[in-house]
Amino acid sequence: MKMNASAEPSECDVSCDVGDAGCGDLAVELKARMSSLRPGQVLNVTARDPGAPEDIPAWCRLTGHGLLAARHPEYRIQKKEN
Amino acid sequence: MAGRFCVSLTCAKDDADRATVAFVVANAAAASDKETVVFLSIEGVRLSQKGYADDVREAGFAPLKDLMDSFAKAGGKIYVCSPCFKKRGLDEGNLVPGAAIVGGAKLVEFLGEGTPSLSY
Repeated sequence: MKMNASAEPSECDVSCDVGDAGCGDLAVELKARMSSLRPGQVLNVTARDPGAPEDIPAWCRLTGHGLLAARHPEYRIQKKEN
Repeated sequence: MAGRFCVSLTCAKDDADRATVAFVVANAAAASDKETVVFLSIEGVRLSQKGYADDVREAGFAPLKDLMDSFAKAGGKIYVCSPCFKKRGLDEGNLVPGAAIVGGAKLVEFLGEGTPSLSY
């Protein structure tokens, strides 16, 4: 599979808005959304919680998914290979 | 990144704020691929009973029942302190999903090898 490692959006991406979800709710949302993606696919997330700029990079480090771009409240996360 | 995480909770409706935040944090751990246990002891064991948390809703948070359901769905486990449970005469046949009544050995085993634990 061709990897989409670009910081720019592509038509293969999935987008979602998790609103004000923060802390555990944000992690649960991210996990649920990522579970429906294929490896290498990118999730564009809009996350407005004030903790998101710290939490989303941390969640990516914990889970191994790739953080391609972070410009609060917009984030691009690439699903890891299995 | 694998690893374990424990959240220790000693209250229920006597401090619904603590009980709620404990499960918010437990959900953060479970959804971050940690093998997560919520250890209920003291008054916290009341949360092991189906229906008990149904009317707990702290302002600014999701309802406690939803948080607990989400935790169980993510594979989180709830360890329920056996002596605390027995002292309160609770019902073994009415445990919420993911809950198991355990003694100290089970908890100590889980906490071995430097597992972090956060207390509420």
